[in-house]
Amino acid sequence: MNVLAKTLGFSVALVIAFGGVAYVLPQMEGPAPEQHVVNLDELTMESFVAMGEDLYSGKGTCSLCHNALGRAPDMLALNVTVTSLQRIADPNYEGSAANSEQYLRESMLRPSAYVVAGFGTKGSNDTQSPMPAVDKAPLRLSTLEVDAIIAFLQDKDGEPVSVPLPVATAMDAPIAEVAASAVPQGPEELIVKFGCTACHAVLDSQAALGPDLNDIAGRLSAAEIRESIANPAADIGDGFIVMMPEFPAMTLGELEMIVAFLAAAGEAS
Amino acid sequence: MMAFITPRRIRRARQSAGFLATVPMLIAFVVLACGGLATQVSAAEGDAAVAGVSADEHDVAATTTVSLSPAPTPQREDYPTIGASSRGIVWAIAQMHLFFGALVLAVPIFVLVIEIIGFRTGDDRYDDMAHEFMKVSLTAYSITALFGGTLALALFLLYPHLMSYLMTAFGSQVLVYAGLFFLESMLLYIYYYGWNALRYGNRKWLHLTLGLLLNGVGTTLLVVANSWTTFMMAPSGVDPETGAIIGNIWEVMKGPLWNPLNLHRVIANVAFGGAVVGAYAAFKFLSAKTPEEKAHYDWMGYSSNFISILAFLPLPFAGYWLMAEIYAYSQQMGILAMGGILAWLFVIQAVLICTILLAGNYYLWTGMARSEGADRYRWAIKYIATVLILGFLVWVTPHNVIYTAAEAVKLGGGNHPVLGPLGIMPAKNIAVFLMLICTFLSFQLYRRADKVITVSWQNWGNALMASIYIFAIANIIFAGVYYGYFTNTVYKVGSSVIQVMSTVVVIVAGVVIDSLRFRGAKTLHVSWGKVAERSQYALFALPVAFTWLMALMGYVRSSVRTHWHVYTVMPDTSADNFIPTLQTVGNMVTLVTLLFLAFLLFIFWIANLSGTRQLPVTTDAGSQREASVA
Amino acid sequence: MSETANEKKAGRLVVWLLAIVVGLTIFYLLDHAVMGMQGLPLNWDLTPAQ
Repeated sequence: MNVLAKTLGFSVALVIAFGGVAYVLPQMEGPAPEQHVVNLDELTMESFVAMGEDLYSGKGTCSLCHNALGRAPDMLALNVTVTSLQRIADPNYEGSAANSEQYLRESMLRPSAYVVAGFGTKGSNDTQSPMPAVDKAPLRLSTLEVDAIIAFLQDKDGEPVSVPLPVATAMDAPIAEVAASAVPQGPEELIVKFGCTACHAVLDSQAALGPDLNDIAGRLSAAEIRESIANPAADIGDGFIVMMPEFPAMTLGELEMIVAFLAAAGEAS
Repeated sequence: MMAFITPRRIRRARQSAGFLATVPMLIAFVVLACGGLATQVSAAEGDAAVAGVSADEHDVAATTTVSLSPAPTPQREDYPTIGASSRGIVWAIAQMHLFFGALVLAVPIFVLVIEIIGFRTGDDRYDDMAHEFMKVSLTAYSITALFGGTLALALFLLYPHLMSYLMTAFGSQVLVYAGLFFLESMLLYIYYYGWNALRYGNRKWLHLTLGLLLNGVGTTLLVVANSWTTFMMAPSGVDPETGAIIGNIWEVMKGPLWNPLNLHRVIANVAFGGAVVGAYAAFKFLSAKTPEEKAHYDWMGYSSNFISILAFLPLPFAGYWLMAEIYAYSQQMGILAMGGILAWLFVIQAVLICTILLAGNYYLWTGMARSEGADRYRWAIKYIATVLILGFLVWVTPHNVIYTAAEAVKLGGGNHPVLGPLGIMPAKNIAVFLMLICTFLSFQLYRRADKVITVSWQNWGNALMASIYIFAIANIIFAGVYYGYFTNTVYKVGSSVIQVMSTVVVIVAGVVIDSLRFRGAKTLHVSWGKVAERSQYALFALPVAFTWLMALMGYVRSSVRTHWHVYTVMPDTSADNFIPTLQTVGNMVTLVTLLFLAFLLFIFWIANLSGTRQLPVTTDAGSQREASVA
Repeated sequence: MSETANEKKAGRLVVWLLAIVVGLTIFYLLDHAVMGMQGLPLNWDLTPAQ
C-alpha cells in the first residue's frame, strides 16, 4: 500500500503540475465568426474602415501570415496603395488590375494571378501562392467584407479610399461575419466603451473629474496623449491627482484610434 | 555443395519461409482492406441535385447517374443536446479510446520483437518478459473496445449530421473495420493463451507468425481509423464547392495528411506503450520482496525505457513531416497551429517533452550505477544535463506574449529584443536536435558502461565517433543560426532538414560503430536490481508526461480545424464551435490523464490478480494464505 | 622497438586529425546534398546561391 500511495501520489501530483502550466500561460479564446447583419443606413466610412480592420485580424485571418515573420508581405508595414501600383508595373505581372483597388481585390480573390517574388509555394517557382482565395472556404468572405478590408488597407496609409460605401439594394441585407465580441467600432464607440466619459468632458459628457478632452490636442502632443492613456500613473503635471485606471484590455489598435481622434478633435473645433 | 544443404538447414528454411510468407499476405490484406472496395456510396434520396463537379485533379469514380448530395449544413438548433457539453463528452471518450488503442497496438509490436530476440538467443528471460507484457495488454484490449463502442454511440447521438456525412464518405470501409476486429480478437487470444502451448520448435514459428499477423491487422485498423481523422482535417475526394463525395474510397482515404499521421502514430504508439509497461515494471520493482524479483523487474524497466526512448528519438522527425504537410495543404492551418492562437499549446508541449527527455536520461544515468565500468563516463552527465536544461529553456521561450498597451510602448514594439529571436523555429530546432543528440549520447554511454572494448581499432572508432558528434552539433547550430536568421524564409525552412539529417547521421553512425566495436568486448558485471529507488520514479514520470502530451496534441489536431467539422466542407455551427481557453484545455487533459491512470491501476491490478492463487483453507484456525504464481 | 611516449602521442594526434577531417567532410557534403535536393543550391562557402 505504501508503494501504491507513493507512486500514485507522485503521478497525480505531476499530472496536476502539467495542468497548472495551462493556468499560467495567457488565456486566449477563439470565438467562431457569428453572423452579423450590417445596417447599411448607419454605415459611415469610418466604421466601414474599422470593420475592415477588425476583419483583417479577425475573420479574415490576414495578420496570421501577413506580418513581419516573412511568410507573406507585411501589409501593415508597406504603403499598400503605392506598393500595389509598383506590382502592377512589374514586367512579370500578368493579372488584369489597373489600379490599387483592383489589384487588392484580385490578390484576395485569385491569389495565384500574381505571386510576389520569394513568396510562392516551395517548388512552384513563384507561380503558385499559398494564400487561399478569400471568398471560398475556409474564409468565405462576402463582397462587403472584401470591400471593407480593401478600404481599411487604403485608409491605414492615409491614402484615399476608392471603395464606395455599400448601399442597400433590392437584395437581402448583407451579412458580415465578425467575431461576436468585436462589433465594428469607431473611436466614439471606444471612448464610451472604456468609460472615458465617466470622468472627462468629451463627446456628450460634461464630467469634470479629469481634464477636458475636447481641446486636449491644443495642450498635449499625440505622443503625450498616448502616454497618458497607456500609463495613467505618469505625472504629466496638469494639476490633477491621478485617479485614472489602466486599461489592460485595450488593444494597440484601439489605443491608436482614440489617440488619433483626440489629437484631431482640437483641429476641428 | 551438398554438404551445405543439411536437414537442419532445410527445416529452418521451411520455417522461415512460412514466417516470411505472411509478409506478402499482409500486404495483400492491407491493400484489399483499404483500396479494393472501390465502390462509391450513392445517396439515393430522390433529390436529383447533382453537385457541380469542379474541373480539378479529382478523378470521378466511374459510375452512372448518381445523385451527389452536398455536405449537410445543420444550424445550431439542429444539434441534439443532452444537457452537458457535447464536445466535452466526445472529447473525453475519444481521448480515452485513443490512449487505450495506442497501448494495445503498441505492445504487440515490441512484444513480437522481444519474442524474436528470445527465440534467437535462447534466453528465457526475453520470452517471459514478452509474455508478461501481453498480459497487461489483454485487459487493456477490452477497455479499448468499450471506449470505442461508447465513442461511436456518443458521436451518432450528438453529431448525427456529421456522422451521416462521414458514413457517406466511408460507408464501404466501416464494415471492413468492424470485421477486422473479429480477426484481431481471434489472433490476440490465440497469441496470448496459446503462448505456452506453442512454445518450442515449429510451433514457436507458428506463434511468431500469429504475432506478425496480429500486428498486421492492428496496423491496418490504425491506418483505417486515421483516414477518418485526416479526412476531417484535409478532405480529399470531395467537391470543394459542395462537399459531395466524388472520389472512390481510396481517394477519400488517401489525403495529404494520411501517411504522415500513420507514421507519426505508429512510432508514437510504441514510445507510449513502452512507457506504460515501464511504469508497470517500476511498480512491481518497488513492491518486490526478493532480490530475484527485483532483478527481474529492474531489467524489465530498463527494457521498457529502452524501447520507449528508442521510439521517441525519431518521433520529432515524424511530427515535423506531419506539420510540414499541414503547412503544404493549408499555410493558414499550419500557422494557426504554431504561430497563431494554438501556439501557446506548444509551449506546454515543450515542458512535457523536456520532462520526457529528462526522465529518460535520468533513468539511464542512475542506471549506470549498476555497473562498475560506469565511473569512466560519469563526468559527461553534468554536461548532458546542462544542454538538456538550456535546450528546454530555449524551447519554452515564446516569440511574444500578450503585452498591454503600456508594456508595448515601453518595449518599443511587439517582441522582446533579446528573447524574441529565441521564440521562432530556428532556435527551437537547434534546441530540440541538440537535446536528442545528448539523449542518444546518454544511451551510448550507458551501453558502454558495462563493457571493456577490445577491438584493435578502438582509437579510430572513438575519434571518429567524437568527431561526428562535434561536427553534427556544430552543423546544427550553424544551420539554425545562419539560415534561420540571415537568409530568406525558404532557406530557413529548408535548413531544418540539415538539422534532421545531422541527428540521423549521429544515431546511425553511433549504432553501427558501436555494434562493430562491441565485438569481443569484455562484459563487466551488471547488478540488476541494485539501483536507487528514485530511478523508478522516472519510469512513472515518463508515461504521465506521454499521456498528457498525447491528449494535448490530440486537442491541437482537433482544434486546428477551428469552426469546421470537415475543414472547408462542413462547418460546425454547434454551441461548442469556438476554440476554448487554455485553462479549459488544461482541465480536460488533466481529467482524461487522471482517468487513464485510474484505469491503468485497474489493469495492473488485474494482471497481478490473474497470477495470484489462494491456497486451500487449513483445518486449524481457518488461516487463509495466498501464493503468487510466478 | 616499442614506441616512445612522443611517438604514441603523435600517432594519436594523427588519428584525431584524420577523424576531424572525416567529420567535417561528412557534414559539409551533407549540407550541400540536403539543400540541393530541396531545390535550394548553395555556394562553396555554404551561402545561398539563389
